Amino acid sequence: MREWVARNRWEAVLLGVLLVTIVVNAMLSPFYLGLGNFINLFWLSGEKIIVAIVMAFVIINGEIDLSVASVMGFSAAVLASVHAGGDVPFVVAILIALAAGAGAGLVQGLVVARLGLPSLVVTLAGLIGFRGAARVLLEDRSVGDFPEWFDRLGQEALTGPVPLVLLIFFVGLVVAWVVLERSALGRRIYVIGSSAEVARYSGIEVAGLKLRLFVASGLVSGLAGVLFAARLGSVRGSLAEFYELDIITMVLLGGVSIFGGSGSMLGVALAIFTVLNIRNGLGLANVDGIVQTGVIGLLLIGSVLLPNLAQRLRSALPRARTATKAPP
Amino acid sequence: MTALKRRMRFVGPLAALMLVVAACGGDAGDTTTTADAATTTAADVTTTADEDTTTMAGGDTTTTAPTAEGPVEVSAAESISATFLPKCTNIAVFPQANEGAEEAAAELGSDPAEFVGPADCGDATGQIEFMTNAVTQGVDAIMVSNNAGDELAPSAQAASDAGIPVVSWDSPIPSAEGESVFIAQVDFDETGQVMAEMARDILGEEGGQFAILSATPEAANQNAWIAAMEEVIQGPDYANLELVDTVYGNDVAEDSVNQALALVDSHQDLELIMAPTTVGIVAAAQAMTQEGLCDQVKVSGLGLPDEMREYALSGCAPAFALWSFVDLGYLAYYVAYGIATGQIEAVEGQTFVAGRLGEYTITADPTRDAGLRVLMGPFSVYTADNVDG
Repeated sequence: MREWVARNRWEAVLLGVLLVTIVVNAMLSPFYLGLGNFINLFWLSGEKIIVAIVMAFVIINGEIDLSVASVMGFSAAVLASVHAGGDVPFVVAILIALAAGAGAGLVQGLVVARLGLPSLVVTLAGLIGFRGAARVLLEDRSVGDFPEWFDRLGQEALTGPVPLVLLIFFVGLVVAWVVLERSALGRRIYVIGSSAEVARYSGIEVAGLKLRLFVASGLVSGLAGVLFAARLGSVRGSLAEFYELDIITMVLLGGVSIFGGSGSMLGVALAIFTVLNIRNGLGLANVDGIVQTGVIGLLLIGSVLLPNLAQRLRSALPRARTATKAPP
Repeated sequence: MTALKRRMRFVGPLAALMLVVAACGGDAGDTTTTADAATTTAADVTTTADEDTTTMAGGDTTTTAPTAEGPVEVSAAESISATFLPKCTNIAVFPQANEGAEEAAAELGSDPAEFVGPADCGDATGQIEFMTNAVTQGVDAIMVSNNAGDELAPSAQAASDAGIPVVSWDSPIPSAEGESVFIAQVDFDETGQVMAEMARDILGEEGGQFAILSATPEAANQNAWIAAMEEVIQGPDYANLELVDTVYGNDVAEDSVNQALALVDSHQDLELIMAPTTVGIVAAAQAMTQEGLCDQVKVSGLGLPDEMREYALSGCAPAFALWSFVDLGYLAYYVAYGIATGQIEAVEGQTFVAGRLGEYTITADPTRDAGLRVLMGPFSVYTADNVDG
């Protein structure tokens, strides 16, 4: 236990914060503890947290994808316009929407991996471009009238009390943990994130892996966009606007270094649980949206400052153990 | 419960209703009188839409009115817990509406409703979250000004399934799914009429070009008003008015200022900006004043007297209109309280007395395919002459 805490300091801090959050919430609101509420609090942010998983990979890899929310809106807009055009079976429309998401990732990935432009710039352009494309596709309209089964997937539980989006999230979380922390691929992602130079000299195909990560990011964002469309029952050009901020917040709060090379899936999961529980607790305590946004903003500042300060402090101390979060 | 099934549920009774109405058509005349009176008092500015309203209200009275014993006086019963959910909390009109709701709660001896909402008026998912939380809290009633379209319907339906009445005010749920009743500030067609009349008065005999600066492209109420206005200006009396553009400032002051300036840049002959939102109209008036364009481009629309006084007096905004948001919140609370305590039912033909505002009738909503509404009214048109009073 002590050893685990020593090796996973940030995760231990997050776990503590999460437990405190849960206890405080339970004391503040009699409606907090309950299966229905716990499912709701994930369900209400289901699309964001799915994207947060893949965002963790991208950031650990030393890149960033600012375009995720715009790609969510874009693929949802593609879904809606293909559906509105008629003639195409809805399942095909979904596949086209997912392909649009993956395609958005592919284009940006090619520019980053092959041309070597910084992902910050490329995906900033993507953020603007794909949002623009979504708005062009739908103009100011709200396009819906999806098949009943599709709306049900987003609005009702799939098995027992669990909706599809949560199933995808939790399965995705486990798969992501295995890939990132228990596979050769995961190890390569950390190495590239620490130093692309070193990775290249050790024979890792850096560009190819980066490209694949951007495609994955686009595809998952596309999936999240489609799921969002199902939950809302209709799509507008503004769907998921500004969600990239919340998504990146959760990943950074999870202890993933913005410079790449370190971070853990456990940390990201704990950060997601913490943010959602704080938000839910504030909501049940009837705290206004403006204050909620402020609190989440403070979290982001804290999440970037604290780990960095801690690191500075540790390296400043002469005999501090160099605790790296990346597995060997 | 699926969206389609929900819709289907309406069709059956509706068809039956129409048959009965058709059958009783001959003697419906007598029963219409009460509803008729209520509707007419509610609307000061008379429009053709009023006729629709009365016919429908009258027809329904014959079939679904609980009893013909006259209006129910909504009065203090038990204290209820409720959520008062605006489009967002940081636009002046919504705290005003909440003041009205608090006033009503005090009169009815109930705890005031929780006033919570998203930070951003375009945040539909934020509103879904507050709605869902209110259901988790097991409140007795929810009063909501919908900030989007039918996105809110599933969560409103969940509330409704949990036995919580959802009273919409200011902006309804278009499909009416999950909604008990909509408290309409004024008739939506009437809003179009009033805006068209103000435009005609400002542009004068020779007419001219005007543009609309709205809130968000999603807003159900603004879109309905704009559609109504577009219809009115098709008429021969408005042949000289030319609507050249509709833009959206998202109910954010800065965006609205920029959109207003962009309108002036892109339309050389623009003479009027019509903003059916209290944020947009102030922003437009501010922009025109700062740029010294007031002689060229006038501003009108829906505005708060407090915020528009200086522009009305300067002549930049010669006329604008609004209803009382305090009254709207007050009436919404009375209706929600009445339904939650079982004093009134959300059915067509239900008549009731809401404190200082007097008597109202729940009617079918002529502006939507489904749903019920209570029409508050009236409109006040403000000019330099009455903006101080």
